[in-house]
Amino acid sequence: MGIQTEELAPGINKVILDGSLDIAGAAAIDLRMNVIGGASKGLLVDLQKVTFIGSMGLRALVAPARAILGRKGKMVIFGPNELVEQVLKTSGIDTMIPVYHDYDAALAALQ
Amino acid sequence: MTANDMDVAQNQIGYLGQLVLGSRLSDMERLPVWVESLAATHGIAENVKFAINLCLEEVVSNVIRHGYRGKAEQLVTVQCTSPRAGYLVFTVDDDAAPFNPLAGTALPTIGEQDEGQIGGQGIRLLRGFAATLEYEARPAGNRLHIGFLNPARA
Repeated sequence: MGIQTEELAPGINKVILDGSLDIAGAAAIDLRMNVIGGASKGLLVDLQKVTFIGSMGLRALVAPARAILGRKGKMVIFGPNELVEQVLKTSGIDTMIPVYHDYDAALAALQ
Repeated sequence: MTANDMDVAQNQIGYLGQLVLGSRLSDMERLPVWVESLAATHGIAENVKFAINLCLEEVVSNVIRHGYRGKAEQLVTVQCTSPRAGYLVFTVDDDAAPFNPLAGTALPTIGEQDEGQIGGQGIRLLRGFAATLEYEARPAGNRLHIGFLNPARA
């Protein structure tokens, strides 16, 4: 599971995830996602290269989202494939973390 | 494998394979590898393979974490059968205390949950991605049948 981070503006970060967010994948990014969540007022999570997500993968997204939303910040998900998006919608995570397929719209939502 | 071989493999009826896992979460790394091998041999569609991996990860990880509660040297057996063409059933057997995962009601969706509450999405995901679910209590353990439709390729 790969994870890359980029600071887009002060306090606004982007995380690019790459691989399978199964149990092992979620464990590999959990700590880093929590650290990023704790340091961001806006966070864009790019899921374009994520091939799978299970419930542990969902947790890895929800924990930083709760931290950011708790500080009145914003977190968005960008570019999940159809099957990953189906998991996001079935779990209802999309009502907490909006999902975008247009990058500019995702960025604008963080403002 | 030729297209004709693939058609034959996809329509194979009966027992397709079995995987026996230990009771450590790290043993679960073998699950997607096994599913990938079944998919290659039996022409399982990409979206069906995704659903199988999702449901098996949920069920087996729950058995290991909550059923066996860290007890070592326990086994989880996953068997794949095809009762009829285009229909796959994965049967998960464990020796844990009786527990019917289908009996409970699903927790609120993540977006509706209170702060501090994360998770409980397993049953919601199972119901959303499996075609059929059936629980059976065994004399010493549990058996869950998880069915998936795998329509023939056009």
